[in-house]
Amino acid sequence: MFGKLSLSAIPVSQPIPLITSIIVILVALGVLALITVKRWWPYLWREWITSVDHKRIGVMYCLLGVVMLIRGFADAIMMRTQQAVAIDAPGYLPPEHYDQIFTAHGTIMILFGAMPLVLGFMNFLVPLQLGVRDVAFPTFNSVGFWLTASGALLVNVSLFIGEFARTGWLPYPPLSETAYTPGVGVDYYLWAVQISGVGTLITGINIVTTVLKMRCRGMSYLRMPVFCWTALASCLLIVAAFPILTATLAMLTLDRYLGWHYFSNTAGGNPMMFVNLVWAWGHPEVYILVLPSFGIFSEVFSTFSGKPLFGYRSMVAATLFICIVSMLVWLHHFFTMGAGAAVNTFFGISSSIIAVGTGVKIYNWIFTMYGGRVRFETPMLWSMGFIFTFVIGGLTGVLLAIPPADFLTHNSMFLVAHFHNVIVGGVVFAIFAGYEFWFPKAFGFRLHEGWGKAAFWFAFVGFWVTFTPLYVLGLLGMTRRLQHINFPEWSPWLYISVAGVGILILGVISQVTQLVVSIRDRDRLRDVSGDPWDGRSLEWATPSPPPFFNFAVMPNVEGEEAYWGIKLRAVETQQLSPEPEYVPIEMPVNSPVGIYTAFFTTVFGFSMIWHIWWLAAVALVAAFAGFVAFAWRDVQEFEVPAEEVARVDRARRAAREALLERLSRQEALP
Amino acid sequence: MSTPDLDPRLHAGALDHRDDHAPGDEPLEDVGHWVRNANLGLGFSIVLTVAAFLLAGSNIIYAPAVPVALIVLAIAQMGVHLVFFLHITTGPDNTNNVLALAFGVLVVALIVVGSIWIMDHLNQNMMPMEQLMRMQP
Amino acid sequence: MTYTGLPASVEAIRRVRQDPHRLGHRAHGPGEPVEGTGHGGTGPASKRIIVGYGFWIFLLSDIVIFACFFAAFAVQRGATAGGPTIGEIVDIRRVGFETAALLLSSYTCMLSFAATNARNRLWTEIFLLLTGLLGLVFVALELWEFVELAGRGITPQRSGMLTSFFGLVGLHGLHVTLGGLWLATMMAQVLLKGFRREIIHRLICFNLFWHALDIVWIGIFTIVYLMGSGA
Repeated sequence: MFGKLSLSAIPVSQPIPLITSIIVILVALGVLALITVKRWWPYLWREWITSVDHKRIGVMYCLLGVVMLIRGFADAIMMRTQQAVAIDAPGYLPPEHYDQIFTAHGTIMILFGAMPLVLGFMNFLVPLQLGVRDVAFPTFNSVGFWLTASGALLVNVSLFIGEFARTGWLPYPPLSETAYTPGVGVDYYLWAVQISGVGTLITGINIVTTVLKMRCRGMSYLRMPVFCWTALASCLLIVAAFPILTATLAMLTLDRYLGWHYFSNTAGGNPMMFVNLVWAWGHPEVYILVLPSFGIFSEVFSTFSGKPLFGYRSMVAATLFICIVSMLVWLHHFFTMGAGAAVNTFFGISSSIIAVGTGVKIYNWIFTMYGGRVRFETPMLWSMGFIFTFVIGGLTGVLLAIPPADFLTHNSMFLVAHFHNVIVGGVVFAIFAGYEFWFPKAFGFRLHEGWGKAAFWFAFVGFWVTFTPLYVLGLLGMTRRLQHINFPEWSPWLYISVAGVGILILGVISQVTQLVVSIRDRDRLRDVSGDPWDGRSLEWATPSPPPFFNFAVMPNVEGEEAYWGIKLRAVETQQLSPEPEYVPIEMPVNSPVGIYTAFFTTVFGFSMIWHIWWLAAVALVAAFAGFVAFAWRDVQEFEVPAEEVARVDRARRAAREALLERLSRQEALP
Repeated sequence: MSTPDLDPRLHAGALDHRDDHAPGDEPLEDVGHWVRNANLGLGFSIVLTVAAFLLAGSNIIYAPAVPVALIVLAIAQMGVHLVFFLHITTGPDNTNNVLALAFGVLVVALIVVGSIWIMDHLNQNMMPMEQLMRMQP
Repeated sequence: MTYTGLPASVEAIRRVRQDPHRLGHRAHGPGEPVEGTGHGGTGPASKRIIVGYGFWIFLLSDIVIFACFFAAFAVQRGATAGGPTIGEIVDIRRVGFETAALLLSSYTCMLSFAATNARNRLWTEIFLLLTGLLGLVFVALELWEFVELAGRGITPQRSGMLTSFFGLVGLHGLHVTLGGLWLATMMAQVLLKGFRREIIHRLICFNLFWHALDIVWIGIFTIVYLMGSGA
């Protein structure tokens, strides 16, 4: 009746998951109780849960990502401390547990931390920067978010019901086949990642269609902000690469559930095919993460240097170059698997060539700063930290791209240090830069600058103190994923690394403090004009936060840096453009289909994991029925009356008049 | 989302359906055009399919050339489907569609050809699985 | 030298600058973007275009999934583990009927779309029904093939080659089945709601989907069956 599920699935004998689960459940229940007592359910349901507004969905993605980053960071703390104490000693984490932790750490950080954050930024910004009202498929967008949340939920459920995979974040067969992992861990992984993969694909399709088919009047391709170009390239990669992951995990699922022989050890299965296919996804995946990050930096560098981005066309070209070449390098993740010299050489060369695209971008950012009036506010600090960190990480990557060198460093701590160097330096720093930069736009008040700077410095120093020793350890011969250490001479480096973790913890605390302090002081920090940073692209033309329809009248763009042109003209003529004629606007209605589908998908996933076949069938039918019911609806859009549009826009114009006056007095614009 | 038709900023004809098309969609073409496309598409496809079936496992052409001929016929028939059923053309109104298709074809080629090339080399260099399994204690 | 008296290279540059596809750079000009190229310089496209293009992109992602299953078959085509080879399990006659059914269903699908464009509800439903029936014939033939093979002990659990064979062909059959469910829903919607804007958009998407399935089938019957039978 309940498949493989029984009370023994609850980890009563393992203190750490047990205590963590109890705390998490109590906190979750507490939050639900608070919402109920304060009667916030109708507001939450109406404004957030059933919202199809890209801004709300973007914020929810980012919130999910931040929460999962914290869990991934907790895993990281456990791993670093275990390695520091387990030198010729057992440590405090038994191998079966340690293996789940490093698997969960990788899976969560990449797929449930970084991906949702990047998707969140793209969802929030792309329609605003393109001067349109929403993405191409707003309701579908909501479905995509809730499916991602569903996957994240399943990963977290594995903490207190059952176990997680022990295979590493990419579950290589034959270890991940049923013969060697009969438990539910790999199944949790498979269903969580498959479900959230569908969510990601939905965003990919949405953004590609939005960028290619929905731009405001006058915004030709070469007038788009660079962030939109990088979002386009990243989402093209999502559409091209995520299906590979879907197919590969489906094949592994068929092997596990039906005893097929895609990747098995016997009867003609080929485990190496899994490695090949999964990295054909895995490499584009990291570029999916890093390209929008580059886009964020492009926006920050030009805004905080007070200059247009240097070399716009070469930036676009470099972005598209990286997009295409990223699909030509995947074998560098398994040089040592025996493909031979010819194959290794080809992929070694292509992996070295792809660095050229990034090099072009780095030079463009540096030349953007040169000759500008640079302001060293928090987003700029993160960006400059990125240049330093990412260039070094990229250099170690080019080193790894040389097959003979890789034969020595593959799967050593050198590799671990490299990929953290580029992901943290590239993606995480970008997320914080973007968070500091666009927070006022999303929430209407600025963040406390002092705590922001503190958070940056702790993170920057902490990162280097944590990961430089890992480079050294890799060259000393230490392999990755070790539960205990047999070489006492490695201990100084491991201790330094743990000290770095301590500094990073201070960074996280500073970041949280910044948010708390900013919320407390939000009236003082209010962003009244909508343009707190002297921005250059169209999102800064809206109030903070923007009205749900974004623009009262869609802008008419006449050059690159659309908003900068509007601002300059206003300052020159000492007046705003004339008040437009306000017309009614049609906006899509909210829909519960997202959360409804995700709920039954979660039930489906959980039932499949525990082999509760009848419940899986019921959930599948219910999800399908919900979709058909949604397709049957008669009302898709509602009309916003012209008076309301006018009222909102006149308030915006009043704020802009005040800003214009301030700018003219200061003559601040160069 | 706001229907642009309501926005007076846009001048008339800016969103003429002749400007831009999704694949398989030609709203201003008449029924006769559609039916003609369908008939032509069906006709060509039947010819190509029958040719392929006749060619397989026969001696009509030099035997080792048969696989290549089959692939050529398949690609031709896919082209027939794309042009006649999905109405992919080379006009400026179809640029996005062609580029997307080209991107898709590139990705498919990379996956299929890349996997075959890599796996072939791996299989050559690796000990056969049966032998490996026999080495287990 | 050209008729304008300029060197040919300069003339060529001038022509490039006037190209309707805007491949040249004109970021800071007073110029209006040229219309008719669908590049969005004239504002967002209509909903019909957006829906059709978005579905086209989704189809590309679906084709990539098929590509992976094709790649698996290509890699494992010889991994028979002492069991039957691909040549021993293909039945060319049945595949011929399956191909005919699917190709004709693509044809009737197109005719139903022609009827939709003419806003003729009767013929739309008739051709949609024919499409569905032909699709049903296809799925039935394929199920018969699988059942027959299973009866001979030829199952996906037998070898790597059989796994990837059943996986690829089965994935396609699954898509046709789901397409059939979608078709039934569309027939009901056309019947009950007529040719509303959203319904026509969905019919556009369905058309794309059904034709794409036939394109994938061309790949399957060529590479798996016809090339397999020669092996």
